[in-house]
Amino acid sequence: MTGIDHRLALERLLASDHAAPNPIDDIEALLKAHHPDYREGSLVSLAVGANRGSECPTALAASLQSNARIEDADLAGAPVVDTEVLIIGGGGAGCAAALTAAEAGGRVILATKLRIGDSNTVMAEGGIQAAVGEDDSIQRHFEDTLRAGHGCADRRLVACLASSAPDSIRWLIDRGMRFDLAEGGAIGGKLLRKKPGGATRARILSFKDYTGLEMMRVLREAVELDERIRLWNRCPLVELLSDEAGHCVGAVLYDLALHRFVLVRASCVILATGGVGRLHLNDFPTSNHYGATADGLVLAYRIGAALRELDSFQYHPTGIAWPSFRLGGLISEAARSAGAHLLNGLGERFVDELAARDVVSAAILRECAEGRGIEREGMVGVFLDIPELERRQPGTLAQRLISLGHLARQCGIDPSREPMMVRPTLHYQNGGVVIDENGTTSVPGLYCTGELSGGIHGRNRMMGNALQEIITFGRRAGLHAARSASRHPAPKVGLFHLQGWRRQLVAAGMPLDRFGPDLFPRYANFDFGDELALRGGKRTTYAPKRARRVE
Amino acid sequence: MQTSQVRITVNGCVIDTEPTRSILEAMIDAGETLIDGVGCMGQGVCGSCRVLVRRQGESEVLSALACETRACEGLQVAFLDHLPMHRHHVYAMDDWNGDSWRILERINATFPEAQHCRHCGGCDSACPKHLQVHKGVMLAAAGDLSAAECFDECIMCDLCTIACPELISPNHLGLYVRRLSTAIGFRPADLVLRLHQIERGEMVIDQDVASTQP
Amino acid sequence: MTHRPVLLAPTAAVGADLDAWLQNGGAEGLRHALAAPERIIPALAHAGLRGMGGAGFPTHRKWSSVAGQSAGDKYVLCNGNEDEPGTFKDRHLLSASPHQVIEGALIAAVAVDANHVLLYVNPHQHEALKSTRSAIEQWRASGLLAPIERRLGLRLALDVVESSGRYIGGEETAVIATIEGGFPFPRRKPPYPAESGVHGRPTLINNVETLANVTHILRHGADWYRALGIGGACGTKLYSLSGDVLEPGLFELPMGTSLRELVFTHGGGMLGPLAFKAVFTGGPSNTLLTADDLDVALDFDAVAQRGSRLGTGAMIVISAGTSIVRKVAEYVDFFAAGSCGQCTPCKTGTYQLSRLLRRIDTGVGVQADLRALESLCALLPGSGRCGLVDGAVTVVRSSMQQFREEYEHQLIG
Ligand SMILES: Cc1cc2nc3c(=O)[nH]c(=O)nc-3n(C[C@H](O)[C@H](O)[C@H](O)COP(=O)(O)OP(=O)(O)OC[C@H]3O[C@@H](n4cnc5c(N)ncnc54)[C@H](O)[C@@H]3O)c2cc1C
Ligand SMILES: Cc1cc2nc3c(=O)[nH]c(=O)nc-3n(C[C@H](O)[C@H](O)[C@H](O)COP(=O)(O)O)c2cc1C
Ligand code: SF4
Ligand code: SF4
Ligand code: SF4
Ligand code: FES
Repeated sequence: MTGIDHRLALERLLASDHAAPNPIDDIEALLKAHHPDYREGSLVSLAVGANRGSECPTALAASLQSNARIEDADLAGAPVVDTEVLIIGGGGAGCAAALTAAEAGGRVILATKLRIGDSNTVMAEGGIQAAVGEDDSIQRHFEDTLRAGHGCADRRLVACLASSAPDSIRWLIDRGMRFDLAEGGAIGGKLLRKKPGGATRARILSFKDYTGLEMMRVLREAVELDERIRLWNRCPLVELLSDEAGHCVGAVLYDLALHRFVLVRASCVILATGGVGRLHLNDFPTSNHYGATADGLVLAYRIGAALRELDSFQYHPTGIAWPSFRLGGLISEAARSAGAHLLNGLGERFVDELAARDVVSAAILRECAEGRGIEREGMVGVFLDIPELERRQPGTLAQRLISLGHLARQCGIDPSREPMMVRPTLHYQNGGVVIDENGTTSVPGLYCTGELSGGIHGRNRMMGNALQEIITFGRRAGLHAARSASRHPAPKVGLFHLQGWRRQLVAAGMPLDRFGPDLFPRYANFDFGDELALRGGKRTTYAPKRARRVE
Repeated sequence: MQTSQVRITVNGCVIDTEPTRSILEAMIDAGETLIDGVGCMGQGVCGSCRVLVRRQGESEVLSALACETRACEGLQVAFLDHLPMHRHHVYAMDDWNGDSWRILERINATFPEAQHCRHCGGCDSACPKHLQVHKGVMLAAAGDLSAAECFDECIMCDLCTIACPELISPNHLGLYVRRLSTAIGFRPADLVLRLHQIERGEMVIDQDVASTQP
Repeated sequence: MTHRPVLLAPTAAVGADLDAWLQNGGAEGLRHALAAPERIIPALAHAGLRGMGGAGFPTHRKWSSVAGQSAGDKYVLCNGNEDEPGTFKDRHLLSASPHQVIEGALIAAVAVDANHVLLYVNPHQHEALKSTRSAIEQWRASGLLAPIERRLGLRLALDVVESSGRYIGGEETAVIATIEGGFPFPRRKPPYPAESGVHGRPTLINNVETLANVTHILRHGADWYRALGIGGACGTKLYSLSGDVLEPGLFELPMGTSLRELVFTHGGGMLGPLAFKAVFTGGPSNTLLTADDLDVALDFDAVAQRGSRLGTGAMIVISAGTSIVRKVAEYVDFFAAGSCGQCTPCKTGTYQLSRLLRRIDTGVGVQADLRALESLCALLPGSGRCGLVDGAVTVVRSSMQQFREEYEHQLIG
């Protein structure tokens, strides 16, 4: 993709009259031509598994229908560890589950791929929903969430979310998380509330513009200091363990520091591995952390769990397009709501900035595809013109767009003088594994919680509900698992589900040499075969060498 | 597009890249394996990508975040391991619940080393977020809970903990003050009221309302 | 070969007893110095005396630099901090024969016109501290200082200062910081102490052993001193021998004695059945000498030609039963613990060196770890205010040069 040179575009921007954009005649056609969700061929039908016949993005389908990375033989000599509850994923959901399970008396192992806290949770800026306002109610929270999700959400889950939300906030405060106040002091004051898009009341509670950071550092500290939780960093889940009945009875982890497999036999396995952004569906940049590669989703599906709203993802129209090291980072809607314009390289506005997200995204992609984007250091996007907004409404930056200011400075930009460059980014997985209020799935022994589970947001997530979901349902899953766990490991533990899975793949004519889960983005250049060869392991499976550059 | 190439060394690997790329991007571009020391990949909030960097011709070596640091000619980079988990400051959340007149005593008992800060400034110069770490330690050691604010933007990268010769663990001390002061002293009235209403059954959800349809 | 000890001679080992020291030729060197102050520094130059505190810097150069500074308050500091592993010579001199050290320091005061002479002693070495204190009191009461004061036209302050007992407190600018009453934080150089030391005044800092030698050079003459050495080397050296040898201890031998003679003759050979593997030489920069170096003459230049350092003369012998990587990791941990904390690369760099070494030592290191270790050794040197971080790098680097196969052997893959 090429565009108009940044310097030239800046001159045109200065000369621009910011005339209102021409209305788009055929929105349908725009979406079909430029939006990945609507584009012909961007979705495929799943050929195997519990959701056979459902549509999902091509790149995700490839992962979901991949073959296992390991064989029985790879596990020879691996140590076996027993526990009652095994939690996979060190983001907010995993930590909430671990803390609750430990408090309920369960023996807990928390294993995570990167370090504990390296997650989408730590990146959340905006805040967390809970109906605490005098003018608000849990009923409103329930209804707003259902409505925003186009009525597709599971009502039981949403009711659970809305009614537990205030208690989740209390739970967080008890563990030491702070929230901003609107008035009064720490005792007896009132919480600062912001209004999420699509809500009828202000309901987002936050801590400055790093709510996720504050949440994550508190939860991480709590987990690290809890002697009842064994924490294993850098131990990604590679496969689930099954018994002959197909129940989940543990997991195979790979210890990246010691370069060896570890088998964990567990009565309950809670997956909390988060989202999919790093699969770069439809070649989108992403706001997600490095480990968001759908591993849990893929393995839950492989062992038989059903998924929902698999074709529904949140793309954010204004992700950062330059500089590359912040590519995909989010610029919140606040900028557009405050009145900032989007302009192409010709200095023209091309879409009503307050139109639906889909439409704004598609319009930006159209400008870029048709050569009217702006190019800077190889990155292409359109201008989000904050300087003009600031001239029109002086003080907006300082009063309404504080986090944008931080972000701009991180990019080396003075936001009052230079426009930001933006393009759509892949932000959130709306659907996921089907769960009930306790996080249990259709596979006995297997729980899912957090971003990888589905049903709470329907087809569209409201801002602030994801952080609420991970606490509410992380706690519930942890508690339920600790209470139902048996002290004794299953007598027969193995890779029993793999035969059936491979039979399905063969029957459907799917390739057997596409291995999953991905574990790392393709540009991580991680070769599992090389890794196994370190210990002289046979290369029963291997991933082909990968592409080098992030495009 | 033509950008000039620069040559950097990362953990001993020689990498040719462009000055627009961050250290992490440069590694990826060059086909190096990157599976450790990376998390948020650019947002600068996870604290996993800690490095020591030395610019060409300079004697100064600085700590930095690799996702926020751009390549430049002759840059030498060494990644830093994250701290192993032997935590010597262990406490429970009820540490202050006894006699809250004795909070200072508890701080001293839980983080005794803070009394021995030698004011070397190592924590301040190690901090990639340029926080006032030393000031935070001083305040906490004097029982001044406004220490918490010094750590508002702390990403828990542990660079100050590694840097501190007195083993004070400044960021963990800061977090301890933050957590405990919140846990015992943060009670917003609106939340208190709402919890009360829900607990007494005064607020419930009717799942069957129609207005939830779009 | 027979040789007569000088610093460890029985006639010097009089403890704090000044009268006994004076009966055995004590104060003779000082008298010579006072008789011809202008000849002191040339004598040291001719004697080839070099600093015994680790760096081997020619002593006369430092002295002339301080002597050349404008008049006013000047300091002579005798550095007796001695805190690194394997070195135990200064504490011995200060407890068994402090007078030769004090006399050397007084000669320095004469040579550079200093009116403050301070003995900086490690308080963890109780004997040394007690003995030095008592010796100093006797000097003060003796009237021997009067001629110096007359020459200076000022009162001479002769005193003992306790160091913090920390390793870093031995670094010369940290000594200055301590004497000024602060924490032993090393300072950036330049300015060098000779120009701006204690309270900004010209300051001469020498090691205990260096100053002890001065006394004898002034008493017996530079020619006599030169002749004590072997080959091109001058004088004698105190070697602190320890580790896997049968008879460890402190030996005074001609400068230039071979490593083989030190270990196998004086040290009684290896302890137990295992063969000699290497020696860690002591001082702020530890380096390694291997079996190939057994015939190397132990003097500053010959050892330096082997890419190693004589340092303080500490020789820690290890046998074939010792793991190099683990031993080096222990050293690095010592440096890491000793870092004063001012410089990020020092504290953080030694942390990472230690992590990489521990990983290789525990059998989970890979090729990339070795590469990272090497590159860290290229990144760190010269980045600290003082030499501590370089010391840590030197021992790692030296061990990787000499025992590369051992490192590689422990990797997986
Ligand atoms: C930039 C950004 C801003 C956001 N802002 C908000 C906001 O303001 N409000 C809001 O409500 N939501 C927000 N969200 C969404 C919200 O942060 C996430 O949906 C939520 O935190 C997900 O939590 P989680 O615990 O399910 O997953 P994560 O926090 O992503 O944690 C998943 C963990 O599992 C680990 N993992 C992955 N694969 C494996 C494996 N194979 N083995 C072991 N471990 C594995 C990961 O490394 C990670 O540690 C935002 C998201 C992003 C990316
Ligand atoms: C980290 C460090 C520690 C040191 N410790 C000592 C010490 O304990 N005793 C000492 O005499 N010199 C020590 N030195 C060397 C001194 O800085 C200084 O060079 C020496 O005292 C000068 O004396 P010399 O010239 O007589 O050797 C140390 C140097 C460094 C870098
Ligand atoms: S205070 Fe410490 S842990 Fe926090 S950001 Fe600064 S260096 Fe990192
Ligand atoms: S690094 Fe430690 S000792 Fe030094 S100033 Fe900071 S808290 Fe104090
Ligand atoms: S190099 Fe190390 S010991 Fe020396 S001043 Fe710097 S931090 Fe202190
Ligand atoms: S990758 Fe998260 S701070 Fe750099």
